[in-house]
Amino acid sequence: MSDDEKLIHASGNLDALARELDRVGTAFPRRVNADPERVEQGLAQLVLTLVELLRQLMERQALRRMDQGTLSDEQIERLGDTFMKLEQRMEELKREFGLEDRDLNLNLGPLGDLL
Amino acid sequence: MSELSPAAQHDVTLLELVDRVLNKGVVVSGDITLSVADVDLVYVGLRVLLASVGTIERLQAELP
Amino acid sequence: MLYVYAFVSAPASLPDVSGVGGSPLGARRIDVLDAVVSEHELPVDASETAVLEHARVVEALAGANEGVLPARFGGMHADEAALSAAVAGRELVEALGRVRGCVELGLRVLGAAGSQASAATGAEYMRARLERRRKLERLADELHVPLAALARDSTLALGTTPRLLLTAAYLVPRGDVEAFGETVASLQAAHPELGIVCTGPWPPYSFAIAAEERS
Repeated sequence: MSDDEKLIHASGNLDALARELDRVGTAFPRRVNADPERVEQGLAQLVLTLVELLRQLMERQALRRMDQGTLSDEQIERLGDTFMKLEQRMEELKREFGLEDRDLNLNLGPLGDLL
Repeated sequence: MSELSPAAQHDVTLLELVDRVLNKGVVVSGDITLSVADVDLVYVGLRVLLASVGTIERLQAELP
Repeated sequence: MLYVYAFVSAPASLPDVSGVGGSPLGARRIDVLDAVVSEHELPVDASETAVLEHARVVEALAGANEGVLPARFGGMHADEAALSAAVAGRELVEALGRVRGCVELGLRVLGAAGSQASAATGAEYMRARLERRRKLERLADELHVPLAALARDSTLALGTTPRLLLTAAYLVPRGDVEAFGETVASLQAAHPELGIVCTGPWPPYSFAIAAEERS
């Protein structure tokens, strides 16, 4: 399979696209070995993936209600504040465990459309 | 003008291919574990989560 | 043990390529389908090479058969009985019928690199997220809707990253691929600020399972 056979249309910066795709984890999965520190990281990976998933689902739900006009200004402010804080905390935790976006592999199958 | 470097073309094409083979396609989960270096993986019955090796590796850390 | 690559209508037309680890391809009859498989003494090594070998087999099968239902990487079974049990009641015949004669085309839309202003208040954050969502949905109306009209089926994901605005897959009859590409080119001309990348044709991986099963 040669590469130009599979490119029907491309313009703009392909390098940038390759970087974005790499960021969301469509590349080969990383190997995990059984040493204790890695196991902890593996657990963090699992937990943070689930937390991030839930955060995105909840944010999506909140935005829908906001769009429908069924949230008060106070609720909007509180929700936004919470989501912002969660986002910051996620970034801290990712840094702490040495995890990147691709490790959380959120762009998975039926759950790909979250944002 | 657009940048169509052969390396970028290759990267994008490969990423698209691997994404499909690992994350899409009919999930025909069997009882047999694939071997990944020295790590044994166990397939359990969670269809969405267990479709790709990467996901298996993430769960592996959690199993007894 | 058997490693499975894809399902086709029986009798399978096996291409002249080898499977994972150089193993020969074979077929196992399941109802009116053939599962295309290779036999192994030991579990297949889940390596990058194996993934590419799997892809090559599926690609070759797509060329040799009118319709192919790609299997995801990693389907290993003790024997034929185990394989049959794994696909029992899966309505693969219907799935194959839906993709027959079609290929998959992928679409990615990249936005310009921009600064992400951080919000000062919760309300500001929510307004920005809502505005972003609305922009993405407008983008889908302009780009995805006309392309989906050319396809038998499609999948769509918006805003996967701040820059990766749209990701879609389209199930397109083989003969319509060129027209599809021309439509993509005209959409790109109408949106010079976006980076649109269309890849394919791929075997129909994204459409191998029923829409209901997808989400």
